[in-house]
Amino acid sequence: MIRIGDVLVSQGEGGVYSERMLAGARVWDPFRSKLAALYYTGNGVELTADMRVLYLGAANGTTVSHVADYVEVVYAVEFAPRPMQDLLEVARRRKNLVPIMADASRPEQYAPLVEEVDLLYQDVAQPDQAAILARNCAFLRQGGHAILMLKTRSVDIRKTPEEVFHDTIAELAAAGLEVMESVWLSPYHKDHAAIVCIKPGRK
Amino acid sequence: MQSYWFGDVDGEVCTPFTGDAAARARRIRSLRATMDGFIPLTWKDAVACGVCSDRSGYFSALRELCFAAAEQDIREQYAGKDTELLQMVRTLDGMDEMINLLSERVAEWHQVRHPAFSRKYHRTPAHVLVKSISQKQRGALGRVAQQVEQLAAARTDLAREVSSRANLVMPNTSALIGGLVAARLMSNAGGLLPLSRLPASAIQVLGARTALFAHLRTKSPSPKHGIIFQHRRVHNAPKERRGKVARALAGKLAIAARLDYFRGVLVPEFLEGAQARIDRLGAGDKP
Repeated sequence: MIRIGDVLVSQGEGGVYSERMLAGARVWDPFRSKLAALYYTGNGVELTADMRVLYLGAANGTTVSHVADYVEVVYAVEFAPRPMQDLLEVARRRKNLVPIMADASRPEQYAPLVEEVDLLYQDVAQPDQAAILARNCAFLRQGGHAILMLKTRSVDIRKTPEEVFHDTIAELAAAGLEVMESVWLSPYHKDHAAIVCIKPGRK
Repeated sequence: MQSYWFGDVDGEVCTPFTGDAAARARRIRSLRATMDGFIPLTWKDAVACGVCSDRSGYFSALRELCFAAAEQDIREQYAGKDTELLQMVRTLDGMDEMINLLSERVAEWHQVRHPAFSRKYHRTPAHVLVKSISQKQRGALGRVAQQVEQLAAARTDLAREVSSRANLVMPNTSALIGGLVAARLMSNAGGLLPLSRLPASAIQVLGARTALFAHLRTKSPSPKHGIIFQHRRVHNAPKERRGKVARALAGKLAIAARLDYFRGVLVPEFLEGAQARIDRLGAGDKP
């Protein structure tokens, strides 16, 4: 990851969401992006130039644009029409971004479009987040990483965030993933956690 | 056989899909893969299929297709008749809030300028006061009052448009409670489809969320009506019968919303019985 001093940045064309520029690079704000927050609070997964990424829950393309600055290609899946309009606009200017309008919980809809990927990133804020991730692991190569952004308040409001956190980790392990790292994203995002997993097996 | 975005692969044989951009976009939106033992495609499959010659060609073809499919999808979702009505009714509610707030503020401001002025015993509604301020006052106060007036005029036009649009989009619901209230119900539910899926009991208290959750959490009485209170047959009914009228109306509204979503045309034989039943309850007769 590229850092200027302590500030996380990415190299690319700026002005996507009027982000701050620093020495010609785009500042990646941890308060706006959960993935950036992960790089501040934990280790995350090093993004490299040869990586293929499947990004579920791309929304308005804010975080996606930074990921696209680092990697070879991003398949960005988003379901709602309103954010999709913004995502398309971002994708028009970033040639390594493939925008896909589909429901992340139904991978059979976009399976004919997506290659095998090195990183599976999911930020969908649904009650069955872990199950959605497990279903999408079909696209992930053996030894590839999966990052789950867990919005504990969307999973079950009656449980404490800690309970949801532990339940989700257990659920991911049961789905055959190896949990590498799990961190809370405070102080950047409240009641949000990031869970980094690896799909076992050799490349 | 496996179907991919560029064509169908059957063992060694690949048949590229030929067709114009729109047809290709339609095709990938209808494709469904089997996820058991699924093996992702590789870009070399597409090269073997003769669709492209290198990796950058692969992406430009794939991207073109994805853009076309997404744009098609967005257009279809926005083509739903209720999408624009939803924006209209939310704008209307936003304008109401703004106009009330600003008129009260203008009145307060006017009162400070004229120490002898009082609204007591005059029963001057805020909008009448705003009108006279806009005519008599100079400077910023007068101009703001003029703007509030113009906003109020735009609001009246919009309300008329919402009402007539609602008559088209949701004819049965509008016939029961009027276009404006029908549109508000739809907006609160999040669309015509979500509204048609709601049970009558939920429609009855739509817009009374605070009261409903206070009731569920504590021992406070349950709300009898939410948005549907704005309809005359509910708020004109004597207090002891209001709950009954609201319940019967909500029951008929749930049916009407389903008729609107699935048929989309006025159903007189349903409306006749529904109107009669609600009127009977409002008049205090036995149902």
